[in-house]
Amino acid sequence: MTSTPFQDNATQPVVSLRRVSRIYGEGTGRVAALDGIDVDIHRGQFTAIMGPSGSGKSTLMNVAAGLDDATSGEVILAGAPLTHLDDDARTRLRRSEVGFIFQAFNLVPTLTARENILLPFELAGRTVTREQQQWIEHLIATLGLTERVGHRPSELSGGQQQRVAIARALASRPAIVFADEPTGNLDSRSSREVLTLLRTASREYGQTIAMVSHDPVAASYADRILVIADGHLVGDHGPLTPQQISELLIGFEVGAA
Amino acid sequence: MNHSSKGNLVLGSLRELGTVGLVAGLSGAYAAVLIMTSTVLAAMSEESGGSVGLMLGIVAGVFILIALYVGAIVIIGAVDTVISGRLRHIALLRLLGSRAKDLRVSVVRGTATVGALGALAGVVVGTVLTHATRAVLVARGTLPEADYPLVSSALVVAFWAIAVCAMCAGWLGSRGVLQVSPAAALSGTAAPVTASGRASLLRAVVAGIGIVGGFGVLAAGALAGESAPEAGFVLSFFGAAGASTGFLVGARLVIPSMVAAFSRLLGRDPASVVARRNALLDPLRTTRSTMGLVIGVTLVTTFASGMAALRASVDAWELDAEQRAEALQIMDVTTAVLVGIIVISSLIAAVGFVSTMSLTVIQRHREIGLLRTLGFTQRQVRTMITKESVALSVSAILFGTVLGIIYGTSAAQSLVGSQGSGFVWGVPWVSLAAIAVCGLVLVLLASRGPARRAIDIAPVEALRIEA
Ligand SMILES: Nc1ncnc2c1ncn2[C@@H]1O[C@H](COP(=O)(O)OP(=O)(O)OP(=O)(O)O)[C@@H](O)[C@H]1O
Ligand SMILES: [Mg+2]
Repeated sequence: MTSTPFQDNATQPVVSLRRVSRIYGEGTGRVAALDGIDVDIHRGQFTAIMGPSGSGKSTLMNVAAGLDDATSGEVILAGAPLTHLDDDARTRLRRSEVGFIFQAFNLVPTLTARENILLPFELAGRTVTREQQQWIEHLIATLGLTERVGHRPSELSGGQQQRVAIARALASRPAIVFADEPTGNLDSRSSREVLTLLRTASREYGQTIAMVSHDPVAASYADRILVIADGHLVGDHGPLTPQQISELLIGFEVGAA
Repeated sequence: MNHSSKGNLVLGSLRELGTVGLVAGLSGAYAAVLIMTSTVLAAMSEESGGSVGLMLGIVAGVFILIALYVGAIVIIGAVDTVISGRLRHIALLRLLGSRAKDLRVSVVRGTATVGALGALAGVVVGTVLTHATRAVLVARGTLPEADYPLVSSALVVAFWAIAVCAMCAGWLGSRGVLQVSPAAALSGTAAPVTASGRASLLRAVVAGIGIVGGFGVLAAGALAGESAPEAGFVLSFFGAAGASTGFLVGARLVIPSMVAAFSRLLGRDPASVVARRNALLDPLRTTRSTMGLVIGVTLVTTFASGMAALRASVDAWELDAEQRAEALQIMDVTTAVLVGIIVISSLIAAVGFVSTMSLTVIQRHREIGLLRTLGFTQRQVRTMITKESVALSVSAILFGTVLGIIYGTSAAQSLVGSQGSGFVWGVPWVSLAAIAVCGLVLVLLASRGPARRAIDIAPVEALRIEA
């Protein structure tokens, strides 16, 4: 296991995983989706999580976001130890500190794009301040959604739906945004747009982002690249080019097989 | 149960088909109770040599038609709900090369089989129940000793009618299958199917014709009651059926805004807001969830109101003591029968409600998972489901009560209008209050299961790509 080069960073990490394992099933059907993972995700960074299919990337994201329970180990999210929180407290934490972007089914089908973007505020029963309102309008304009905010998800293209999800994730300025293959369903042009946006959010607004991806091009937008294989953290790198990432991954896929 | 594999592919779990079977069973039981009760009443009137035999036969016939009508409506609703929840699944099957027609045939085969089995079970249970009740009543002296027949050939008719209704309901309910385009499987979100402007205009027109025409026939029935009660009562039934069909067809144009208005009264917290959006933004789903309850409340209110109107007119008649006693005894027996009808109606309403609410929760499991991920607490999810249920039930109860009073009063008028003067409204306040309270309690209890199911949905459900 490689040690994190940023470990000595003075700022407190947004997410800390300490010897975290997640075991599915028992006996012969036992799968260690995560096997003693130690990792910190730092404030303001755009981190990519990579690895072969079934290596535990989504599980890592779910556990780090408090959506799923670690079998053992400790997870600290935005200063709160998740293992000691009940479902209610965790939900409240998610509501205020975490934004989500998924590969598909990001949006509530019955709500318009704008209502979807405002959903986290409604859920928390928070009123939108004038400053937040301006920020949301800025996001909508930047994401090119101005014309489409009144439409339902079914009337939007895949890329537009994804951009609505991004606007929603960024709207409340959460401590961290988790994105699981946010470009998995998009063509290369929409992918580039989405990735550029995420990088901008991180560089210009200091938004912390953790993104799971298979795609070396997507990961090349990140400041830091974590590689997972078989539930272990096997690589921790600074920014790399798509070529470098491809070579890195080929090494692991061969090694894993 | 022996379904073709395709039937299982389209209609999915036993639970979904089970709803159809249960509804068919209840309709069967309902019809059996009505049929057997009418044979009991006929035997009784023969015993006492009364002239009410023909009248009772007609009343029983109308009751059976009501049972069939209700059963058909509820079964269509159940099939509709099941299909609408599986649109993406069906679209995927279409994408992989299934023909829409084949899929539809398999739906019809599935509902017909399950419906027939349910109807058979229901008819048997209903017959046994009626005989048991009769035995108790005879033992207590409420009913006279008489030669009561064990079965009636009408039971066979009822069985076939319900089985055929289930098949037709499968056919009607699965028309959505033909409209699913294979491409729908590829789109990221499951979109509620929104009707085109022209379709809703057509719907409004059909509903209008049904309602206006139905009320016209209903009025004609009440008028005819002045001279020919048999014809009047039958006319009343067809009037009520016509108007009800009009209301059912048009319900989705009205019910969602009613539900939204009531949920506005329930508060402005996020759970209420999302509940209201849900009611408004998928009008079809909203309407379907209320239909069982509307029908139940309408039926019960119709009978309560009709009885009240009958009682009021009987009180006004100039009868000698013996005639009055006879009239009152018939009323008492009928009231006992009513209790049975009310129980079965509430069962149909509750089953309809629980099944649509549960299916809705199952179909929305991803959406609820998404809400949980984004920060909805378990309590908020429970509140959302409960408030949705309350808003739905209040609308349904109001709708059903108004309809029931109109139907019941007209039916009573058509039956006995010839013997009294003027038009007597049957508004039994106490019964109406009881119906409203019972309806609300029923729904609150019925919504507990679905609410629990909704709470159990883990946030990660939303993230799974399949399902
Ligand atoms: N609910 C579950 N029950 C049992 N095993 C599971 C479950 N979820 C995941 N797993 C297993 O855990 C391992 C890691 O799964 P995970 O979804 O985290 O992989 P992934 O890296 O996200 O893969 P992909 O790139 O294909 O999305 C896999 O072997 C998977 O089969
Ligand atoms: Mg994954």
